Amino acid sequence: MLDLRLISAEVLKLRRRRGMLALAALLTLGVALLMFAVAGIQHTGDPARYRAAGGVIGYDDTAYVLTMMATVIGVIVGATAGTQDIESGVFRDLAATGRSRLALFAARVTGAWAVVLSILAVTMAATAVLSVALAGAGHAPDVGMVVARTTGVLVAGALSSAMAVGLSALVGSRGPVIGVLLAFFLAVQALLLNIGFLGAARQGIPAVAIDRIADVHARGGVHVALATAIIAVIAWGVAALGLGAWKTKTREI
Amino acid sequence: MCAGRPPINMPTMTLRAPSDSGSVAIETRGLGKAFGPRMALDGVDLLVPSGVAFGFLGPNGAGKTTLIRLLLGLAKPTRGTIRVLGHAVPETRAAALGRVGAIIEEPRFHPHLSGRENLRVHAAARDPDAHGRIGASLARVGLAAHADARVKTYSLGMRQRLGVARCLLSEPELLILDEPLNGLDPAGIREMRELIRELVDEGRTVLLSSHLLDEVEKTCDVAAIVDDGKVVAQGTIHELLNGGARAIEIVCHGPAEVASLLAAVPGVTRAADHEGAIRVTLGEDAPVDREIVTALLRRLLEHGVEVERIAPAATSLEERFLTMTTRLGDRG
Repeated sequence: MLDLRLISAEVLKLRRRRGMLALAALLTLGVALLMFAVAGIQHTGDPARYRAAGGVIGYDDTAYVLTMMATVIGVIVGATAGTQDIESGVFRDLAATGRSRLALFAARVTGAWAVVLSILAVTMAATAVLSVALAGAGHAPDVGMVVARTTGVLVAGALSSAMAVGLSALVGSRGPVIGVLLAFFLAVQALLLNIGFLGAARQGIPAVAIDRIADVHARGGVHVALATAIIAVIAWGVAALGLGAWKTKTREI
Repeated sequence: MCAGRPPINMPTMTLRAPSDSGSVAIETRGLGKAFGPRMALDGVDLLVPSGVAFGFLGPNGAGKTTLIRLLLGLAKPTRGTIRVLGHAVPETRAAALGRVGAIIEEPRFHPHLSGRENLRVHAAARDPDAHGRIGASLARVGLAAHADARVKTYSLGMRQRLGVARCLLSEPELLILDEPLNGLDPAGIREMRELIRELVDEGRTVLLSSHLLDEVEKTCDVAAIVDDGKVVAQGTIHELLNGGARAIEIVCHGPAEVASLLAAVPGVTRAADHEGAIRVTLGEDAPVDREIVTALLRRLLEHGVEVERIAPAATSLEERFLTMTTRLGDRG
C-alpha cells in the first residue's frame, strides 16, 4: 500500500507550496523563538521579577503553545494534502493510470505526516536546546520531560493532519475543512471539557488524550489512562481516514 | 490514408466479429451509463482496432467524455462490457491502464509545480521506468525549454502538449486524447496532427475525441460518430464519407420555393439551401443519376428556373456528421 515514489511525489507537491511552509514555520519555530526572545528580554531587564527564558517552566510553556500550533499546521497541511489533487483536477489523471486509489490516498496521509512532523521535530529540538541553554539558575528539562512533551506535540500534529486529510478527501474542498477542524481543536474541545454531564465520555476528547500522552496536567480534571488515550487518538484518526479512503475509492470522477 | 487498413463496417450494418480481439485496442458491447433517469450512453458497441488513429465524434452532450471515463475505469457502467488492450474494465483496470495514456477533457496540472515536476508526480504513479522517460517526453512535445517554468505560466496549448508528454510516460500502447487540439494555434494543430500520426506509425493506437471534424478527417484512419448516447456510425474515414446518401448540388436562379419544388421530385428525400446552391439528397430508391438529373432539370425548367450548374455533391465528414446527429433534425 505504501509506495515511496508516491509519498515522495506528495512531499514534492507540499514542499513547493512555499507560502504554506513559511506559515507553518512561522507558527511553530517562529512562535517558539518569539516566546524565548520575549522571556529572555524580560529576564535580562529584570531578573528578580522575571524567570529565565528556558528551564523547565519555559520549556513547558512553549511546549503547551506548540501543541496548539501543531494542530493548526497539521490541519492546514493535511487539508492541503487531502484536496490538492482533487481541486487541481489531477486526481482523475492519477486514477486513470490504474493505480489503486487507496495507495494514492495513503500517500497523501504519509506525505502530510512527513512535512508536518519534520517541522515539528525541528521546532521541538530547537525548543529543547534553548530551554537547556537558557535555564539560568533554574532546572533544565530532563530527558523524560523532553520525550513526553515532544511526543505530545508530534501526536497532536499527526492526528490533526490525519483528520484533515481524511475529512478533506471526504468533502473534496479545503477551506471548509480547515475552518471546521480549527474550530473543533481550538474551541469546541474546550467547551466539551466543561460539560460535566458528559462524564467519562470526555476521555475520548483528543485534547485530553494528547495531554495524557504529553504527560501534562489533565485539563478540566478529566483523567485518562495512557492506553485509553492512545486508543482515543487512534480511533479519531482511523475514523477520519476511513471516511476519506472510502470517498476516494468510490468517488466518480 | 485508409489504404491497407482493415475495413470496419457501420455497427448498424455488418460489424466485424468482436472475437478478433488480438487486433482490437478497445471493445465495448452493449455499454450503458445512466445518471439518474437519463441514459448518457445506451447500448454502445465500439470497436477500435489496434494501430490506428480513431476519431470519436459527437456533439456536446453526446456522451463522448462519459465513454472515455468508463474506458478509464473512472466511473462504473450501468450495463455492458468493456475491454481495453484485452483486459476487462473495471475488473482488471490496473492491468488494462498500465499501458494507456489519457487526457480527459482539458489536461489538468498542479499550477504551482513546473512542467517537469508535474511529470515527476505522474511518473510516481506509473511503472518504475516512467521517471526516466520525463526528459524525452518533454523534448518530444517541444517543451524541453520550458520544462522548469511553473505550469501556471503555460498557455493552453503548452498544457495540451504537456498533457501528451504525460501520456508518453507510460510508453503507451493506447492513447486516449479528449479534445487535444483545443487551444492550439494553426501551427500547433499541425504539429499535434503530425505527432499523432508519428505515434500511430510507431504502432500505437490513438483514440481522438474532437469536435474539429476537419482535423479528424485529416488525422484519423477510422472514426465513430456518437449521438444521444449511441454510436450511430463507425468505419474508416473513407467508408464514412462514401457511405452516405447520394447528393446533387444545383446552382440556379429562380423563386424562393425552388427547394420545395425539388423536394417533391420522386426519389428525393431532402432539398435545402447549402452555401449558395441547393443540395438535393437522394433516397436509396432514387433512380440512376441520368434519370434523376433529368427529372430534376425537367421540374426546374417547367417552372421557369434558370439552371447555372449541376454536379454531384462532395461530402465532407462534417456534412456526414451533421446528417447523422440530432442537431440537423433540430434545425429542421
